[in-house]
Amino acid sequence: MAGAGPVEDVSHAGMSPAATILAVLDEVADLLPQQAPLSFFVHHNTLHAFEDLPFRNGVLGASDLFGTRPFQSEQAFGEHLRTGRIAAGDVRAVLAEADVIDGDVEVVPGGPTWAEFRFRRLTTVFEIPRGAGLRWLLEEEDARHRFHPLVGQDRRDRLRDEAARRYAGLSTVGGRDAGERRGGRDRLARRGARGQAVSLEARLLGELWRALENQCPPAPPPAAPARRRDQILRRLDVDTDDLVHPPLIRLCAAFLDQGVAHWPMPGRADGLLGVFRRLFGLSDGPLDVAWRGLAEHLRTQVREGWSAEDTVVWALRELGLPEAAWPAAIQASLLSLRGWAGMVRQVELRPDQVPAHPVPGRLVDFLAVQLVLEVFATRHVLTSRLGPEVSPRELGPFGRSEPEPALALRAAGGAIDTPLVYEAFVLAQLMDAAIGPLLEPSAAGSWMDAVAGFDDRERRWLLHLAYERNYRTAVLDALYAYSRRDEPAPAPPPSPGPGVPLHAVFCMDEREESLRRHLEECYPDVRTYGAAGFFGVAMAYQGLDDARPRPLCPVTLTPTHLVVERAEDYAAHDAYRRARRRYGRVGHNLATARGTLGRGAALTMAAGLASVVPLAGRCLFPRAAEHWAGRLHHRAGVRPRTRLVIERARDEPAEGTTLPVGFTVAEMADIVETMLVTIGLTAEPPPTTTAAAAGGAGADPDPGPGPDPGPLVLVIGHGSSSLNNPHEAAHDCGATGGGRGGPNARAFAAMANHPRVREELTRRGQRLHPDTWFVGAYHNTCDESVDFYDTDLLPAGARPALRRAESALAEAVRLNAHERARRFASAPPDLDPDQALAHVQSHARDLGQPRPEYGHATNAVCLIGRRSRTRGLYLDRRAFLVSYDPDRDPDGEVLTRLLLSVGPVGAGINLEYYFSVVDPAGYGCGTKLPHNITALVGVMDGYSSDLRTGLPWQMVEIHEPMRLLVIVEAEPATLTRILREQPGLDRLVSGGWIQLVAWNPRGPDSYLYVDGTFRPHEPEDPRLPVVARSADVYAGRRDHLAFAEVAGMAAADLHGPAAHDPHAELTSTVPAGHVG
Amino acid sequence: MISPDAGGGLTGGAHAAAVELLFGAVALPAAVTAVLALALWFRVRPSEKVSSTVVSASFGLVATAAAALGALLLATGRPMVAVECRAWFGPTPGWHWRLVADRLSIPFSAFAAGLIGMIGALSRRYLHREGGFWRFYVLLALFGTGVELVVLGGSLPLMSVGWELVGLSSALLISFFHDRPGPVRNGLRAFLTYRTCDIGLVLAAGWLAAAGSVDLVSPAGAPSPLIGAARWAGSSGWATLPVPASSSRATLVAAALILAVVGKSALLPASGWLPRAMEGPTPSSAVFYGALSVHLGPYLLLRSHALLEAAPAARVVVVGLGLATALHATLVGRAQSDIKSSLAYASMTQVGLIVAEIGVGLYVPAVVHILGHATIRAAQILRSPSLLHDRHHLEQALGGPSLTHQGRHPARLIPRRWRPRLYRYAFAHGHLDARLRRLAIPLSRALRTVDGWQRRAADRIGGAQPARPVPPGPVLRPTGLRPPVPRQPGYPPAGRRPAQTLRTIDTIALHDDIALHDDIALHDDIALHDDIAVQNDIAVHNDVTVGES
Repeated sequence: MAGAGPVEDVSHAGMSPAATILAVLDEVADLLPQQAPLSFFVHHNTLHAFEDLPFRNGVLGASDLFGTRPFQSEQAFGEHLRTGRIAAGDVRAVLAEADVIDGDVEVVPGGPTWAEFRFRRLTTVFEIPRGAGLRWLLEEEDARHRFHPLVGQDRRDRLRDEAARRYAGLSTVGGRDAGERRGGRDRLARRGARGQAVSLEARLLGELWRALENQCPPAPPPAAPARRRDQILRRLDVDTDDLVHPPLIRLCAAFLDQGVAHWPMPGRADGLLGVFRRLFGLSDGPLDVAWRGLAEHLRTQVREGWSAEDTVVWALRELGLPEAAWPAAIQASLLSLRGWAGMVRQVELRPDQVPAHPVPGRLVDFLAVQLVLEVFATRHVLTSRLGPEVSPRELGPFGRSEPEPALALRAAGGAIDTPLVYEAFVLAQLMDAAIGPLLEPSAAGSWMDAVAGFDDRERRWLLHLAYERNYRTAVLDALYAYSRRDEPAPAPPPSPGPGVPLHAVFCMDEREESLRRHLEECYPDVRTYGAAGFFGVAMAYQGLDDARPRPLCPVTLTPTHLVVERAEDYAAHDAYRRARRRYGRVGHNLATARGTLGRGAALTMAAGLASVVPLAGRCLFPRAAEHWAGRLHHRAGVRPRTRLVIERARDEPAEGTTLPVGFTVAEMADIVETMLVTIGLTAEPPPTTTAAAAGGAGADPDPGPGPDPGPLVLVIGHGSSSLNNPHEAAHDCGATGGGRGGPNARAFAAMANHPRVREELTRRGQRLHPDTWFVGAYHNTCDESVDFYDTDLLPAGARPALRRAESALAEAVRLNAHERARRFASAPPDLDPDQALAHVQSHARDLGQPRPEYGHATNAVCLIGRRSRTRGLYLDRRAFLVSYDPDRDPDGEVLTRLLLSVGPVGAGINLEYYFSVVDPAGYGCGTKLPHNITALVGVMDGYSSDLRTGLPWQMVEIHEPMRLLVIVEAEPATLTRILREQPGLDRLVSGGWIQLVAWNPRGPDSYLYVDGTFRPHEPEDPRLPVVARSADVYAGRRDHLAFAEVAGMAAADLHGPAAHDPHAELTSTVPAGHVG
Repeated sequence: MISPDAGGGLTGGAHAAAVELLFGAVALPAAVTAVLALALWFRVRPSEKVSSTVVSASFGLVATAAAALGALLLATGRPMVAVECRAWFGPTPGWHWRLVADRLSIPFSAFAAGLIGMIGALSRRYLHREGGFWRFYVLLALFGTGVELVVLGGSLPLMSVGWELVGLSSALLISFFHDRPGPVRNGLRAFLTYRTCDIGLVLAAGWLAAAGSVDLVSPAGAPSPLIGAARWAGSSGWATLPVPASSSRATLVAAALILAVVGKSALLPASGWLPRAMEGPTPSSAVFYGALSVHLGPYLLLRSHALLEAAPAARVVVVGLGLATALHATLVGRAQSDIKSSLAYASMTQVGLIVAEIGVGLYVPAVVHILGHATIRAAQILRSPSLLHDRHHLEQALGGPSLTHQGRHPARLIPRRWRPRLYRYAFAHGHLDARLRRLAIPLSRALRTVDGWQRRAADRIGGAQPARPVPPGPVLRPTGLRPPVPRQPGYPPAGRRPAQTLRTIDTIALHDDIALHDDIALHDDIALHDDIAVQNDIAVHNDVTVGES
């Protein structure tokens, strides 16, 4: 059975077969999903492997390869056209380029012009059934001889006329009119006239159909088989994957398992192939008939010491594949179970991102197992269906050249592309073309070519462009209008605000846009900033409760420092740990006992019925139930007061890790300086004259500790927690690599407050006022809670400011919940903010809630620039907001850094949502309801399926699939230079994976990057609704909203693009707010 | 139409109340199912809120009614109240539907209705905006009706009606996501197992009827002297199936019942369908395979304990099957690396134990065990999507990566050299599928032969032309004839692997054609409620049947 053995060398371009396999594998591995285990979920471009291609070619190529959808369906676009989400102007605009060339040429003599043809074709969506559906339509409903339902009455009349002229030489319209004039008296005659008209039109249409059919190109050939499995499927209608996949899935799950199974797979150190050989090589056991002979063969492999590559080569030869077909076969095999293959690959590449126990997974092992199983499955199927001694070679060669007999048989039914004929037929009725000329073969041929050339993909691409254009125009018009609005009256802040300056640094996340806006509305003296949510602190972090450190920085970085959270008081720490461990042990034992035999029986009999109470609570009163469960949870030990160890005490790494604990002062100063400079929060040394004039005493270079507290700077990280959500980490902060950004904010605040860091910063010329105090905080975007860190360290003078900031944030969070709730169809539209807060909290804590939050859904824009230019603009939680001050970055260095981090991160989030929406099952992971957590690394659909990667439907259902619109407040020339210098960025922008816009720092104009140049945007409708508060825009509405101006908010902003207000600078003591 | 049963012995208002409550407990869910199903039939879709509230509230009412009946029983000290509903269309005067409230049925009825009501309330959030929302509620209500019929049914035929409803709704919910091949295949698998094993119930009913009566016999003895909750604990305090006079007949009936229990409760050797049933939405998995459906087998055994006592051989079989299932399931379950299979096997373990308990006569502990296990398991399955969250918290509490179960698995109890084999046994689910397939192939072949004879005989008698020979070859290959399915969110794209579903069904049809015709009925049922995709499936099924017959 295993006769062939690992075969002698055959050189393949100078490589041994084994080396060929590895080379092929490296290429194919790029096509596999790159999703890490679920607890390390980070958004990334689903089509990362296609990023070198332009967007359009990339998505179309992937669509061919994976069988997925590249764009929204035409029906969806039809709906957008109907609702006005795509306007006629947008369609004309995207067609303009082609229309310039041949817009006024006629497609067929007497027919529509190309411009009209394309416009009508794009804006007319009708179903083109295939296969049995089409046959039904043509044969049972006689669609060949009837008008399509979309054909209007005028057109019908005209075509009837034409038919009448053509066949009878008399006007049916006249006949009809005559019939109607006679009224009800002579129905018979009227019916006769109509019957004649019908028969004439039927004749005309039938002739049209035949004319088109005669010109139809042959149906596209079916895809060439890449694997023996494809051939067997076509010939014998048996899928060998149905045999191969179930054991392979189970094997991978058990191999990768991070702690679901009580009994872990033994001997995992030998790798996937080793485990497979041992398990399936055992001598006895009534294995499935399909695996007859497998055990002996595997024992041979072990005895002869085959490597994985040898095994793959053996299997490919055993399947009778010529060497030229290997790459395609390997690719097709791996892609047939790409979720699992991708996970094995991830484990191989990133062993640090495995939740608990790294396992020696290798993709080549996976491939070897898969191919060995395929060999035996193929043998089994061939033997049982075609008889013994049938070798796979007899299935025929690969490639398009040899049409298989089975295919020829099928094709005999309709060798032509009937759907295309139908499409051309309906279009000829719908468009304003005379039918007569179309009956000529040459015209019919041109018509068919025109219809075929403007195919479904091309149309959807253009509609996609129109869809994006509509939104882009609205955004750029709004920015234009907002920049040009009448300068606000120099009125005092609208409300008697606290008057104490407050700075708040948020993550750039578009979910924080609304929180920032609401905070600005409730606390006019606040100034907010947006930065990547790790705040420059790239670290591995181990909290007090954490079992092991985890990186908290963008995935592209590898942390080189460890930060540990320690209790201040060791006794309290120990007591806390002991209590927690006791609690944990009880919990663990209970969890285990429920699954076991004896303990399970004892538990269920003794305490089973009592759990009706929590079950009923969870089902009927989810929020209260989680509240009580939480209370119980926290009873298990009082968490001691802790501090972060951020300063390096000694140079050697901490025990058990390879990283040094903490940062040096210089490193900390670097981090703080970089961040403050990037977001434009520090003073420009020395204070400008305007600052001196307005601030007066504020210019005092060394102010003593006065009665006024210094400004408070809040640094707010974010994360999310929810039940019933395997994709919990997908709602966390992408900038921290799918972790929660609270510790980063806390570490940053501790660094910035560090006296020696302050000294170092002063030495570098970045002066911070001595009274300025940084406070780290953590915002939970799901249940809208905000926690502040280390507030006990705050100087007494800053406490009132913090209290005011806390209450302002509490209010802002309520309003934020109110704004979020409008998106949940389960929330009544008339909730008040408190009810809304309760509603969003219940989403986080409900076992029966598959939509904890909508996460990044609806993200569409990334604005890089000064907040003062967008403050007061309602952005509908759709814009990443990154603070950047072009005035302080003359050479574009800061901008380059920002674009390099924000571009790929924003594109990754946006594109993952894009693909999960356009193909929820192919790119996303479908509905959450049947998801089954497997091996703690991913989810399957139900009992056994491929590992589902991408985003679940419940997370993305409200998203509008568009490419991210990155708007940078910078001169086009600066951006052009940066793109030239940064090929990685250029690939994203020129390839069209993001849309780039330059926004004039000194004026309202913006420039869209198209084909290598920035083209000025012509505003179409520069009007902006003005409202008093954000709530006036969104109240009672669930859909996507246009931008609006929230009146009065900008007035509080004293820091226009032209003049810096001293208030903004942390060096000033007397807040200008008091003066004004 | 409704007449009291002499066994009740209640009078006046109490009697009338008991009758109404008992009748209502079955009629209300049935009515709700009918109304919802009719509404869907006419394409009327009540709002999500209305449908879920109606279903949840009706089961809440049923639970209350059952509780009230329990209070009535307690207050009067009666062991049992029965209601007979004489059907006006009955062929013989003896044809009646009989409902029984006693110390066994009341707790079960209240518990089941309460649980279904709660899950109904939860599912409104869970299935919010899901395409099959209404279908889910119709099936949940149908399932509830079935459970109440089994639990409150006063005669074996009535119980088997409920039993079949449970099986049907169960299979339809497994294949809830019928756009993918896996759920449909696994739903059919469960249905096939049910139908095969339900032969036992039909046989038992027939044999009992032949032996005299199929009605439950009220428990002997006077009202218990105990008071309050302790009264419920009287061991022989509930109605049982009648025991045929001859002991061999009793053994035969018991064996038939055991066959039915094996299917419904996933005992060996038919246990393979249970982990495969975890295909539907999580709440339905919780209520079916964690809580109610799998425990109906033990319930049937509790109902027939007198029969078991009269047939010692059957008791031995029950104990043996129960223990074997428990051992098998705990071993296999420990090696499962996905949470739902792991819970399915945990469920199977406890059900096996419960069956064994009933076999040895620990009836009251078995009842406690069933109710406790049902609650805990339902809660666990509902919580399964939060596994990562819970793991994280547990790991934090324990303060270290000590969550492996190394050393706790049963392998440490056996010699080292057997361990790989044992692990492989667990890994391969005990090779049950392969074994069953070996059994099923000749069986299916035999049945097909018999079917052929029957057809030929029928043709000869009916004088029909001999059937046109089926052309060999690609008749069963409707591949590519399928019209494009308008996609819904979450559905795979039209045209992607179109052959998949069809091929699956072909295979099943070829191998398991015992239930082929039922399968078609099953799919027709789905089609009543939902979209075009299913109708395509039917078309396909019809093709398949044509090809087959």
